[in-house]
Amino acid sequence: MADAVVQTLNPDKATMMDMTMADMKARTSSGLVHPVGGASAAGASINARGLTKVFGSGENAFHALGPIDLDIKPGEFVSIIGPSGCGKSTTMLLVTGLEPSSAGTVEIDGKPLTAPISEIGIVFQDHLLLDFRTAINNVMLQQEIRGLDRATLRERADALFARLGLSGAENRYPWQLSGGMRQRVSIARALVHDPSMLLMDEPFGALDAITRTQIRHDLEMLWLETRKTVLFITHSIEEAVGLSDRVLVMSKSPGTIVEEIIIDLPRPRPAHLGEYPEFSKYAERIYRIFEKLGVYKF
Amino acid sequence: MVPAQSGTRARLMAAFGGSYFSSVLIGTVAVLLLLGLWEAALRYFEVPVWLAPKPSDFLVRLYTDRALIAGHAFWTSLTIVEGFTLGVLVAIPLALAIVSVGALERGLYPVIVFLNIMPKTVIGPILIIWFGIGPLVAALIVFLMSFFPVLVDSMSGFRLVDRRLFYISRSMGANPWQTFWKVRLPAAMPHIFSGMKIGVVKAVEGVIIAEFIASNKGLGFMIVRASAFMDMTLMFSGLVAAAIVALMFNGAMSIIGQWLMPWSRH
Repeated sequence: MADAVVQTLNPDKATMMDMTMADMKARTSSGLVHPVGGASAAGASINARGLTKVFGSGENAFHALGPIDLDIKPGEFVSIIGPSGCGKSTTMLLVTGLEPSSAGTVEIDGKPLTAPISEIGIVFQDHLLLDFRTAINNVMLQQEIRGLDRATLRERADALFARLGLSGAENRYPWQLSGGMRQRVSIARALVHDPSMLLMDEPFGALDAITRTQIRHDLEMLWLETRKTVLFITHSIEEAVGLSDRVLVMSKSPGTIVEEIIIDLPRPRPAHLGEYPEFSKYAERIYRIFEKLGVYKF
Repeated sequence: MVPAQSGTRARLMAAFGGSYFSSVLIGTVAVLLLLGLWEAALRYFEVPVWLAPKPSDFLVRLYTDRALIAGHAFWTSLTIVEGFTLGVLVAIPLALAIVSVGALERGLYPVIVFLNIMPKTVIGPILIIWFGIGPLVAALIVFLMSFFPVLVDSMSGFRLVDRRLFYISRSMGANPWQTFWKVRLPAAMPHIFSGMKIGVVKAVEGVIIAEFIASNKGLGFMIVRASAFMDMTLMFSGLVAAAIVALMFNGAMSIIGQWLMPWSRH
């Protein structure tokens, strides 16, 4: 099914030179839709109402975020874009219950959120791998802590490693990997347990431009095949438009969602987004909003 | 021709200077040279053995009295192991508690710092009254000396763990116990270990002094007794034995380091 999506959307793009060898292989061998067989967890829906975060209390209280409403459909790829310090990352932590919200409610798949949920995978800007574990053991931490079946998870980890171009790096320690590879391991860690939601907080922010473009594409291909719900936090217009179904633009202190932009571009999207005139229009629109918000001081 | 030759020689010298074997060789030669000079000078000036023993005297003594010296060296080692292990076992949980509970940091930590500033040997006579002269008192003094560096470095180790790692472990549904054993403790291990390395140096230094004042076993005690009998040769043998014990503990620490942290970049 995922293959069908890839092919019907844009058959020509699939042979473009921005595809990696790994992608080609994955595509011909039907990819890693469900590397272990059996049903993969479908994406979860996220519905938030009046989500607010206030740090501190009394005179020192800082109203960081909200109130915001969020409605993310199962399997949707949604980006939140905004200037630094606008509360994007906080939104992500509130939606998962990893940080308590000051007001508002969150429902995941229609069920109210009361405690931190664990059916998620998280990737931060820094890889946050454990120095003392090899690449594969960093990923297998999911299995150890969740008490899942070792062989099954190892198979999934191997499939993800192959898919992310990490084969051969299994037994290397994080300091022996390049920045891009570390971030790939951290993506594998976030997906190995087949979560219904993937949360990414500026995951490519620390990478160089070339690596960023490649990994953006690899993530898109993975998403097309697995259809997790993705909440992607970024301050890069290119990443937001290049990856998302929908972009939410956020203003600063307190962070609120000021605009929603539906990105109607075929997938998979190319390395050089400039070849779509529509891309420039979307980018232009976000720039205009930022200007209106006073993000830039020229 | 000539430059090529000197180039080869320079390369050979560089290779020699850099190898592990050569550093051992150079060290051995230096020590032998020093001992030889020492021996020659004392023989030449006919210095009596009760004033300053020759290397031939105390090295032979080290061999002939090996049972006695090894017995004391064993007690010294055991005292170090006991005191240091107790230090580590108390320091690491205490560091975690101090870092986790704000009240402890404000209330308890200043007291510990004050106790650390106080010279530890002062407590010796008090401990003797409480526990009687023996290796136990020496072990307690070793504990007091090695405990603090482990505590301080463990605290900074636990504190420096990236908070976002806890988001990740919580996203995996980890309980506090799992988070501690699988994330926080190993992440803090490099700091804890550097504290342990300082702690072991303190322990090895401290144990001899502790045995001087408060024990009836161990190399420190043996040296003090030899001093009472003006047995200069045995004192020097004891000194060499103490150095060997110190070397053994430093070697053991680097082995433990590799065992605790196989990931670190050697």
